[in-house]
Amino acid sequence: MNWYLISPQLSLGALALLVVLLDLFIREKRLLAVVGALGLAVPFGFAVSLWGHEEATLYGRLAVDGFSLFFCFLFLGIAFLTLLYSTDYLPRMPGRHGEYYALILLSTTGFTLLAAARELISIYLALELSSLPLYALAAFLRDEKSTEAGIKYLLLGAIASAVLLYGMALVFGLTGRTGLSEIAQALAAGGIREPALLFGVVLLIAGFGFKIASIPFHWWVPDVYEGAPTPVTAYISVGSKAAGFAAILRVFYEAFGQPGWLASDWSLTIAVLSALTMTLGNVVAIWQGNIKRLLGYSGIANAGYIMVGLAAASSLGRSGVLFFLAAYTLANVGAFAAVIAISNKLESDLIEDYSGMARRAPVLSLILALCLISLTGIPPTAGFMAKLYVFNAGVQAGLLWLVIIGVINSVISAYYYLRVVKVMFLNQPASEEGVPSSIPLRTVLFITALGVLLLGVFPYGLLHLAEKAILLLP
Amino acid sequence: MVVDLNVNLLGEFGQIALFLILSVLFTIMLVLLPMALRWVGLVPKKPSPTKQSTYECGMQTIGETWVRFNFRYYLYAIIFVLFDILAVFLFPWAVGLRGEHRVFGLIVMGMFFFVLVVGLVFAWKKGALEWK
Repeated sequence: MNWYLISPQLSLGALALLVVLLDLFIREKRLLAVVGALGLAVPFGFAVSLWGHEEATLYGRLAVDGFSLFFCFLFLGIAFLTLLYSTDYLPRMPGRHGEYYALILLSTTGFTLLAAARELISIYLALELSSLPLYALAAFLRDEKSTEAGIKYLLLGAIASAVLLYGMALVFGLTGRTGLSEIAQALAAGGIREPALLFGVVLLIAGFGFKIASIPFHWWVPDVYEGAPTPVTAYISVGSKAAGFAAILRVFYEAFGQPGWLASDWSLTIAVLSALTMTLGNVVAIWQGNIKRLLGYSGIANAGYIMVGLAAASSLGRSGVLFFLAAYTLANVGAFAAVIAISNKLESDLIEDYSGMARRAPVLSLILALCLISLTGIPPTAGFMAKLYVFNAGVQAGLLWLVIIGVINSVISAYYYLRVVKVMFLNQPASEEGVPSSIPLRTVLFITALGVLLLGVFPYGLLHLAEKAILLLP
Repeated sequence: MVVDLNVNLLGEFGQIALFLILSVLFTIMLVLLPMALRWVGLVPKKPSPTKQSTYECGMQTIGETWVRFNFRYYLYAIIFVLFDILAVFLFPWAVGLRGEHRVFGLIVMGMFFFVLVVGLVFAWKKGALEWK
């Protein structure tokens, strides 16, 4: 048993416990955010030092490879940014700051475990560890909408994990294995060609589909996004999505990559779901007047684009998925950070109230506009490069119809993203008051804006990393 | 986890199914038996208000079905369940704690304990253990 191999996850969990304990004994709660944010350097350092290892630990249940470490970096980055941009919002939730930070860190622990798990039961446990804190966080404001969001998320999430568990049970029942590579061996040995296996795989898609907010498992998204505290919404939108895709990539390529008929079945299912997801997400987003709901539907649409890379079933598609997730994370976090600052001042999330924001808060509006442009996929931003790679993989895999739908959808999405930009830059401001923001939040805005531009101009570094990360997946 | 699929799973679960069927049949029989005896004429029918009233052991049967009680009870219940499960979990662990897994098992259970103790300290400090 080599403890060093799971040191990132262990140290992250220990950090969460440390925050819980410190919260009980110190009065200055801002210190907790500092401890949490700086403490993330420990798991990050371990993850960096592990880069290059290709091993499995805990009896083969957790993988330490490029893939799990890539997602480890992504989740640690998300947690770091979340702790920073939460500072402006926390005064609205008095008295429970310690719990807030601890729950964020616990959920991140679950995410990093999920990316590393290569066995069905571990995957399920990691998924629950990451989801349970999110349910509590969604209800953290304790007002009517937030409570509704929490209950909805909890109930639908419980159904989704039951469905997932049923799918796992079917796969286990037919193959007699829970380890992903052992399932692949059992399937390769042949003889298992039963409808029940397909049913199990479809149930797995449904269970993970809830996490990534794909159609038709997206019903929780708009209400939870609107009701949950904005920093939590941002965290769910990027963290939960990345974790869902990590699990899908791991499970479907490692366990169900062979035989060919099975792979073509599920990749076709994902392709059809992808087309539906982006179309519905984009079309419904046009009608939204609330920026959080708009970003929610934009998240659904983006899940659709990412699924093109999944459906392509090639290494190009897989590395495209990783790159897209990183680009989406940067743009979405930046947009939500700006929304936090603006809605703190306005006490409203309605897009019409953003009118003339460019004159009241020029830098904030510029960065929000940049992030929305990146979500649309216009150069020179990260979103453009991400879409280029994913769609390229789709074309090379012969999914031209899907890519055409994707491009049409990108054009549709430009309408509602740019409408926000138009309201901010061309309409008259309601007042001349500026929008205050704290230094941590400004740091987040700066990091995301810089990241969006850098990845848009020099994508090769991250792409190279993503290609290395997916090397081990068959 | 690896399971040998050559074992006759259906046969093993068949015994459970048999018990299930028997228990359902037994329940149905218990309901039908008095009716059958009444139909045959072995049981007389002499209704009275006391006989026909609803029976509930040790309680007045008058009042709402939705009863209010202190929600603090839930906090206690949840914390109780938590430590109950810990206790249940300890038994298989203690049986499995031998051979090469000895040190590893101790470390892992120590971590598990530590997490739970942090939870208990948290609940204690936050006043969840005080009945107010």
